[in-house]
Amino acid sequence: MRILVVEDEKKVASFLKKGLEEEYYAVDCAYDGEEALFMVEANDYDLILLDIMLPKINGLEVLKGVRQRGLAIPVLMLTAKDSVEDVVKGLDAGGDDYLTKPFAFAELLARVRALLRRKERGPAGELRVADLVLDPVTHMVRRGGQEIDLTAKEYALLEYLMRHANRVVTRTMISEHVWDYHFDPMTNVIDVYVNHLRRKIYLDSSQQLIHTVRGVGYMLQDRG
Amino acid sequence: MMLFKTIKFKMTLWYVVILGIILSCFSLFLYVTLADSLYKGVDNKIRTMAEIVVSSTRSPLGAGTSMADLDQVMTEHFGIRPLGRFIQILDESGRIGDRSTNLRDVQIPISVQTMKAASKGIITFETVQVMGKYSLRVVTMPIIENEKMIGIVQVGSSLEGVEEALQQLLLILLIAVPALLLVASAGGLFLANKALKPVDAITQIARRIGSGDLSQRIRIKRVNDELGRLASTFNEMIAKLEKSFRQVKRFTADASHELKTPLTILRGEVEVGLKKKRGVKEYQQILASNLEEINRMSRIVEDLLTLSRADMGELTMEREEIELSALAREVWRDLRLLAKKKRIQLKFMDNGFTGVEGDPLFLRQLILNLTENGLKYTRAGGEVAVRVKGDRDQGVVRLLVTDTGVGIPQKDLKRIFDRFYRVDGARSRETGGTGLGLSICQWIVQAHEGRIAVESKVGKGSTFTVTLPMKD
Repeated sequence: MRILVVEDEKKVASFLKKGLEEEYYAVDCAYDGEEALFMVEANDYDLILLDIMLPKINGLEVLKGVRQRGLAIPVLMLTAKDSVEDVVKGLDAGGDDYLTKPFAFAELLARVRALLRRKERGPAGELRVADLVLDPVTHMVRRGGQEIDLTAKEYALLEYLMRHANRVVTRTMISEHVWDYHFDPMTNVIDVYVNHLRRKIYLDSSQQLIHTVRGVGYMLQDRG
Repeated sequence: MMLFKTIKFKMTLWYVVILGIILSCFSLFLYVTLADSLYKGVDNKIRTMAEIVVSSTRSPLGAGTSMADLDQVMTEHFGIRPLGRFIQILDESGRIGDRSTNLRDVQIPISVQTMKAASKGIITFETVQVMGKYSLRVVTMPIIENEKMIGIVQVGSSLEGVEEALQQLLLILLIAVPALLLVASAGGLFLANKALKPVDAITQIARRIGSGDLSQRIRIKRVNDELGRLASTFNEMIAKLEKSFRQVKRFTADASHELKTPLTILRGEVEVGLKKKRGVKEYQQILASNLEEINRMSRIVEDLLTLSRADMGELTMEREEIELSALAREVWRDLRLLAKKKRIQLKFMDNGFTGVEGDPLFLRQLILNLTENGLKYTRAGGEVAVRVKGDRDQGVVRLLVTDTGVGIPQKDLKRIFDRFYRVDGARSRETGGTGLGLSICQWIVQAHEGRIAVESKVGKGSTFTVTLPMKD
């Protein structure tokens, strides 16, 4: 899951990036409205955390710009403006949720999860394909009751595949939603990670869940 | 009933009552005067006629004058035979002698009292009813010869015309006065309504303002009458209220934003830091960053406190004689190191007598704030100059702080002294300011009866000029 943090206050952006990355999200930061719009056009984000008071173009204008481009990305407004008017203005401009500063980081994470879940129209709680289970809150992955230890990137990759189970996922989709701005598309990093992941979740007796779709990408599917 | 308590009802009521009294008095006067003059006219006519008759009966023709002669006398005197006049001549004992033809078989009655009066030579006027129906005004005049009454002349005139006229007048007045009052009260109510309509409008708007909507204004049609002036005064008052409300609201929003940002950083960094075990270096980084934010918050709180005390008039200014150039030189010395670190050239110049009267601590803060500001917005390799000049001709001391920094756009110049106002809209706090420095500068200058002005060109730099009265 790839998140864009739009925040002019460097320190706030920095702890948001750090905290979200520790939750296995890919995070990019934009420090003003112009940069934010540029990043939104260039990349495919799953969620935007948006401050309202921004230099050059303010957050509400950024939000309108995003919606005018026909993008339905969930947007969580993150601002010190806490009056009812401001909340109404923010939500009416196309925001999906509103959190006022200072906020509890745990609440921010819960709201991020809720927005991502809503986007996929998935149920709350664990993701499940065959006997493979992933808990997005605790980041625990189990197969047939046995816990599997994954690195941050492997976890993010698996979560993305599980959220799009039974659908073909291209390499471009993976690079855009699992990796951040610094990903180099010329490498075969994705294939390497998929192979690692395959090996880790393929426990002796179980069936293979990650299938290669030749020339296109991958698909996570229970083929019984 | 609400209506009876309204001003327009009371106004109309008073108006109608006063008009009613005036109209009634006028009507009464008119009626009485007219009646009097009409009755007097009748009396005069019959008296004249009686005198003529008396003189004609005393004429050489003697008592044997016939009615035909009387008619002739009348015609001689009045041109025509007067109609509606009845003449009756009686002998000294009251027996009726001659009568005018129009009396036919009717007698003009004569009372004993009148007879007595006539015998004494007194003329009597009286109103009698003839045939029950018509009022007749009668004059009874004795014919006196050699101081002896030899007969009586009675001349009567019908009062029908007079009474009819008076009755008609009374009728007209009885209908016209109430009708007039009715029209007047309707008109009065209409006028009062019209005049007081703006008052109702003002009341309604005041009510809406009371419920918190300060954007309301009264629409004024006539500017120069009393209500127009009231409305425009009211509008001015609301505009002032709205402005100060907006200022307070903006200030509160800004202050809460400025305080919430460091709080957000503190909370976020600590929460993220505590999520898992980290190395000592990482903890140190977090703590150092936290300390920075705590310092920033203390500065903001301190500045806010200074300003609010200044607003409440709780800060007292010392009044000392101070050499402003000496104070500026001190600040310059203190800041040279900082300027060197940022590779900015910090210059100082002074010129002439620069004595002012004021508070050394606040004036020092003023110079410090302005100079630090200059350093903040000037890039490495730039220059900040502090100049103090005495101007004896104008009796002022000028402090100029010039930088070669980023400059301030024209549209922001006016608001740059506003609390928490930041030029780029961005709360770029990297520069480390609280957003209150220039507001405090402005307050210090104003407390010293001085002026502060700013000139700026984007990309070229800014000059802040403080003008203080010179102390002789």
